[in-house]
Amino acid sequence: MRNFVLAVVTILSATIASAQQLAPSPNSTPAASPDVEELRQQVQALTETVKELKQQMKEQQAAIGKANGSAPSPSPDPEASPAVAVTSPSPAASAAAHFATEDAAVVSSTSNAPAAAGPNVNANGTAVSGNFPTSDTSVVSSAPETISSTGTGASLTQPISIGGGGKNYMNVSFDGMFALAGSTARDLDHIEVGDHDPQQRGFNARNIELAFDGAVDPYFEGFANIVFKLDNDNQTEVELEETFLQTTSLPFNLQLKAGQFFSAFGRINPTHPHTWDFADAPLVHGLLLGPDGLRGVGAQISWIVPVPWYSQLILGVQNGRGGTGFSFRNPGDNGMFFDRRTTDRELRGLQDLVWIPRWENSVDLSPTQVVLAGVSGAFGSNETGANSRTQIYGADLLYKWKSANAEGGFPFVKWQTEFMYRRFEAGRGIDESFPVAETFHDWGLYSQVLWGFKKGWVAGIRGDYVDMEDSRFTDDIDRQSRSRISANLTWYPTEFSKIRLQYNHDFLYENFFLADRDVDSVFLQFEFILGAHGAHKF
Amino acid sequence: MKKLLLILSAVSLSALSTHAKLNVVATLPDFGSFAREIGGDKIDVVVLAKATEDPHFVDARPSFVVSLRNADVLIDGGAELEIGWLPPLLQNARNPKIEVGKPGRVQASQGIRLMNVPTNVTRAAGDVHALGNPHFTVDPIIAKAIAQHIAQSFAALDPANAAFYDGSYKKFEASINAKLQEWGATMLPFKNQHVVAYHDSWPYFAHRFGINIDIFLEPKPGIPPSPSHLTEVIAQMKAQHVKAVIVEPYHDRRIAEKVASATGAKVVELSQFPGGIPGTDSYVKLIDTLVSRLAAALK
Repeated sequence: MRNFVLAVVTILSATIASAQQLAPSPNSTPAASPDVEELRQQVQALTETVKELKQQMKEQQAAIGKANGSAPSPSPDPEASPAVAVTSPSPAASAAAHFATEDAAVVSSTSNAPAAAGPNVNANGTAVSGNFPTSDTSVVSSAPETISSTGTGASLTQPISIGGGGKNYMNVSFDGMFALAGSTARDLDHIEVGDHDPQQRGFNARNIELAFDGAVDPYFEGFANIVFKLDNDNQTEVELEETFLQTTSLPFNLQLKAGQFFSAFGRINPTHPHTWDFADAPLVHGLLLGPDGLRGVGAQISWIVPVPWYSQLILGVQNGRGGTGFSFRNPGDNGMFFDRRTTDRELRGLQDLVWIPRWENSVDLSPTQVVLAGVSGAFGSNETGANSRTQIYGADLLYKWKSANAEGGFPFVKWQTEFMYRRFEAGRGIDESFPVAETFHDWGLYSQVLWGFKKGWVAGIRGDYVDMEDSRFTDDIDRQSRSRISANLTWYPTEFSKIRLQYNHDFLYENFFLADRDVDSVFLQFEFILGAHGAHKF
Repeated sequence: MKKLLLILSAVSLSALSTHAKLNVVATLPDFGSFAREIGGDKIDVVVLAKATEDPHFVDARPSFVVSLRNADVLIDGGAELEIGWLPPLLQNARNPKIEVGKPGRVQASQGIRLMNVPTNVTRAAGDVHALGNPHFTVDPIIAKAIAQHIAQSFAALDPANAAFYDGSYKKFEASINAKLQEWGATMLPFKNQHVVAYHDSWPYFAHRFGINIDIFLEPKPGIPPSPSHLTEVIAQMKAQHVKAVIVEPYHDRRIAEKVASATGAKVVELSQFPGGIPGTDSYVKLIDTLVSRLAAALK
C-alpha cells in the first residue's frame, strides 16, 4: 500500500514537474505569429510528450509495485525526459535500486516440477524479496505454459497441430523425393541397384513417404513408414516399409522392438533413403542385402552394454521371406533366383528364420570427433535348394568431425565405409532341377566422404566395388562384378528440403556370360518434407 | 550368527552412508551451469552441447546415450530447441528415471511464459518454434525460476542433501537479485535503443533490460542472410542509429562486420551459454559479460 501511495505521489510530482517544464514552451512561440496551425502542431506535440511521460510513469509504478518493498525510496523515471531529469532530485543510481528482480509476466509459477508437489513447496518458493508469486502448486499445470497473446492456446477448436507444439498424440510427416535421371544406359533399372533409386531416364518418383510416430502408452512407442512409389509405367505401388513398436522402459538397459522393420545390419540398411548422402544405394547394399535392403516382420532385442563407452548388442530375427529378404527365403522373380527354380517353402523351424546379430561401439576421440564401428551378421536359409544356407557378414566404420563453432550443423567432414561378405549356397532348385549346386563367395564395399563446407552445402565422393564369384553355370545379370565412382553436391535450403546433383561412372566387368561395359549417369534429386520435425540420428 | 547379522547390517549401513552423487545431464551449457550452482560437489554434471555450437543442430552422438542411460536427472529446455537431436537419444537411452513427468526430468520451460508464440505455425516463416522462442535463460529472473526447479528436483531425489540444495538456490537467488540492480543500472541509459542481432535469440534479454533487439541479419529464423535483406537492414540501422550488432560464436562474423562497417555500428560477440565466450564460466559472469559488452558498444 505504501508503495502504491509513493508511486502515485511520484507520478503526480513528475507530472507537475513536466507540466511546469512544458508550460513555458507555448509562451516561447512568437506571440505575434499569425500562424495558428503552427501553434496547434506545437500543442499537439506537447500533449504527446505528456502522454509519453505518463506512460513512463506507469511503467515505473509497475516496477516499484513489483520491486522489493523493503527499500522505499521513490524516484521519477530518470530517463523519462531531460526536463524531468533536471527537475528530479533523485540521482539515477537510486532509481536503479528498484530494478525489478521478479517478473510475474514471464515466470508463471514458482514451482511445477511434479517431484516438488507438496506443502513444503511454498516455503521453498518464498523469494527473498517477498514478491515472488507463490501460487498454489496444486493447480499449476506441469506442462509448459504457452498461452499465446491471442488466447487461442487452449481452444478446443484448434486444429490438430502437426508441426509440433506438444498437443498431438502422434507426429505426422510427409516426405516427397524425386529424381531426374540421365544415363548412357538404357537399362537404368539394372544399373541402379536400389528399389528407391532412379529406375528410368527422365523423372522418377520412387520414395513418397508418410511417417508416423508417437508414444503408444507409457510402455511403448510406435513408428510407421508407408512408402508410395511410381513404377516405370507410372502405376502407384504401396510399400509397408516399416511399422513397429518399441519398448521404452524395460529394465537392465534392454529394448524390444517388434513388427515390420529394417534389420540392424550396418550403417545404410537401417536408414530410410531420404536420409542417405547419395541419390542411390551403394552397390554392395543393393546386390548383397537386396534392392529393398534387408527388412521384414520380426522382433529384435538390444542391450546397451554397461561399459564406460557406447557399446550396444543387438539381435534381430525376421521371416526373411520374399524380396525384402533378398538373399534368404526369396522365391525370386517368376519363381527363379540365380537361375534356379526356387522351392518357396513354408517355415520348417528356427533355422529358416533370418538371425541378425550386431555389435556397435562408439567413442568420442575429442570434443569434435566421433568414431562409430560395428560388425553385423545375417544368417538363414535360401530357396535355391532344400537345405541351402546364406551367411552375410558386415563391418562398418563411421568417422565424423564437426566444428566446435558449428552453425546449423556445418561445417563437418564425415567418412563412412561398409564392407560385406556373402556366402551363398546355391542348391539345385526345386526337385533338383538345376544341374549343379554351387557356393558363391561374394564381397564388396563402399567408402564415402561428405564435406559440409558451408551452411547448407555438402560435397560428397564415393567409391563402390562388388566382387561376384564367376560361374560357368549361372548367368544371372546381377552376378556381374562391378565398381562405381560417384560425386555429388547437395544444397539444403533448410533441413526440410534439398536439391542434389550427382554424377556416377559405372564399370561392369566381363564374366563368363556377360561382356564388360561402362555407364555414365547424372541425377538431379529433389526432396521436401512436411510436418513433424524429424530428428537426426547419428 | 549374531556376528554375521552385525556384519551384514554394518555393510548395508555403510553402503547407505557412502552416498552416491546424483548424475545430472544437461542438454545445454546454461542448464549445466544452473545445476552446478545448485548441486555443487553433491552432483556430477555432464553437458551434451558445446557452448560454442548452434544448439539447434547438435549431433546425437552415441556417447550421449551412455550419459543419458546413467542419468538420475535430465535438464532440457522443453521448448523444442533440442528437437532435432534429443528425441532419438532418449529413445535409445531407455532410462525411465528421466521420462517427462518423473522427478528426474526438469524441463526448464515449465512455468515460463514463452515469448513470441506463433498463432499460425508455418515453416514459410523459417525455423519458428511452435511453443515460442526457446532462448529464455538469458533473462536472470527466468534463470532463478529454472534454478529453483532444479533445486526441487535434486531435493526430491536426494533428500539427505535437500537443505543444501535449497540453500544453494537461496544463495543463487540472492546473488541474482543483487546483480540485477547492477545490470539494470548499467543498461538503463540505453533504454529503448534498437540493437541488431544475427538470430532472434535475445527477446528475453531485451525485455528484461528495456532495449529493443528487433532487427535481424537472418531474413527469417534459420535462413542465411541474403544480400537484399542486408541492404534493408543497413537502411533500417541508419534510420534508427543502431550502434551494435550481436553475433554468437557460431555465426558468420564476417557478415556482421560488413553490416557494421557500412553503418558505423560495432560487432558485439555475445553467447547464450556460460563458456561460449571467454571469462564466462558461471551464469552470473555470463550476464556480467553480456551487459558490459553491450553497454560498451552502445555508449
